[in-house]
Amino acid sequence: MTAFLAWLRRDLHVALRNAPLLLGGLMQPILVILVFGNLMPRLGLVTPDFAIVMVPGLMAISVLMSGVQGLLMPLAADLSGTREVDERILSPLPPLLVALERILAGAIQSSLTGLLALPIMLFLMHEVRGFDLDPAWTLLLPVVLACGFLAAAFGLTLGTLVQPRFAGILFSVLLGPMMLFGCAYYPWRAMDSMGFVQWLFCLNPLVFISEAMRACVTPERPHMAAPLIAMGIAFYGFVFTWAGARLFEKRTIA
Amino acid sequence: MPPAVIVQELRKTYAPKGKGVPVEAVKGISFEVGEGEFFGLLGPNGAGKSTTIGCITSLVRPTSGTILVDAVDVVARPTEAKRKIAVVPQTRNLDRDLTVREVLTYHGRYFGLAAAEREARADRLLSELQMKEKADAKPLTLSGGQQQRVMIARALMHDPKVLLLDEPTTGLDPQARRQLWSTLRALHKSGVTVILTTHYMEEADQLCERLAVVDHGKILALGTPAELKKSLPSGHILDLWLRSHASLMEKLGLIEGVLKVEAVEAKEGDEASGVTERLRLFIDGRDGLLEQALRVVREQGADLHHVSLAAPSLEDVYIHLTGKDLRE
Repeated sequence: MTAFLAWLRRDLHVALRNAPLLLGGLMQPILVILVFGNLMPRLGLVTPDFAIVMVPGLMAISVLMSGVQGLLMPLAADLSGTREVDERILSPLPPLLVALERILAGAIQSSLTGLLALPIMLFLMHEVRGFDLDPAWTLLLPVVLACGFLAAAFGLTLGTLVQPRFAGILFSVLLGPMMLFGCAYYPWRAMDSMGFVQWLFCLNPLVFISEAMRACVTPERPHMAAPLIAMGIAFYGFVFTWAGARLFEKRTIA
Repeated sequence: MPPAVIVQELRKTYAPKGKGVPVEAVKGISFEVGEGEFFGLLGPNGAGKSTTIGCITSLVRPTSGTILVDAVDVVARPTEAKRKIAVVPQTRNLDRDLTVREVLTYHGRYFGLAAAEREARADRLLSELQMKEKADAKPLTLSGGQQQRVMIARALMHDPKVLLLDEPTTGLDPQARRQLWSTLRALHKSGVTVILTTHYMEEADQLCERLAVVDHGKILALGTPAELKKSLPSGHILDLWLRSHASLMEKLGLIEGVLKVEAVEAKEGDEASGVTERLRLFIDGRDGLLEQALRVVREQGADLHHVSLAAPSLEDVYIHLTGKDLRE
């Protein structure tokens, strides 16, 4: 356990030192809210309501993006060349726990990014009228952390699968579509009339993060039922933790 | 005192990549390293040295065989075994997000050292390895030799029973290499058990008390450098590089004082100068043997390119065992 905590400390220390990297996960919410939550309502092109639908979704995107960025690139580079990972494997800690520590560190980092995105977006929208938000703050923290865990586990899985030179294309080929079809820009419940298509969306883990954020940030508005959200996050969290840890062990021990 | 490391019948076959064939990297290696001993694994690239080191450190899972480090089974209890070993890997893998000093103190944390102890130890190791001035530098700003020294300091932070170094001087300039040698000698004097792999004959000769010559996943010979050299047919070696094939071996072997004649594979560089054959004569120390040998070469009409006469080195042991030069 000592080694686990020491690595967690190291990872958070380094994350803090590299804090400007958090911007990577915050860019999307900042830019989208500036345009859709500030500029376009002023021009009368959209109602402020539209932006409020997007706020939780954009939080979900920053959680996902920083979770993936925090693990995917460092891990892919490490496994295929620099081998800094061997220092982790050689410390007195089973490889499975090494993987879990990385997920936990990534989860803390990405949930922080998600939480940071909320006040930034609120600030950027504050001049626009018709603005009402009453987040369930006490619920928010544990839920964001669970979502961060899922995002980091997903990042671990991708990092062990992808070569560094393909990591860039992954963002446009996989994460781009995930974000557009992840119920970030529209609520899942708005598709109630679409039958099985609505359920197809559940193949995308981001949907559950978006709906979880929606349930916490705009609880009075329609969102996926809480038990379904919990199941989705638990399911994908488990699958990616399991797959990521196994792949990680396979890549680190010959 | 029980051995610090016991390796028994170690085998490792890597699963095939894609449609390839399985690679048998280690084919039944056994050796023991005594406590406080400086032991070497000597062999060319691809001989199975790094795989053997990997198995001892649990980064490679053996296909079969037993490895005990300080009586702890590495395969069955890897976490416990990892406390007893430290590795200086072939790849420079210092944590590039930390400073040199943090690399050491964090390593201490991973191994559960108390704050006062890890600070004191980091101080001591930084000054012992002459890295004090670079304590606040990031690893990537250091030269190869400096990074190597930091990796050694890092390895020593948790006071390991056994220090494993995988080709530590590869890629270092001659000066940095000599500096590293003296560091390693000092470590050995202080009682650390060291296992070193290298493909530099001179390095093995200078540092190792005992060594195993490894090729194609097997140990060809095991002993002190002196013992290994003594295993050669004689204490003098006469090499002949020839441009033409001639059935000289038998004739040369008849000369009194020539104890053995061996054919050695010609190197790529040799072929450029037209050398097609290299003969190695193990001779005793008597006078006039060189002239006699040259006379036989002339009589047989062979085209001689050049000759050399020397006392045997570990390189010659390797050539004697494998019939080929150890290429770098």
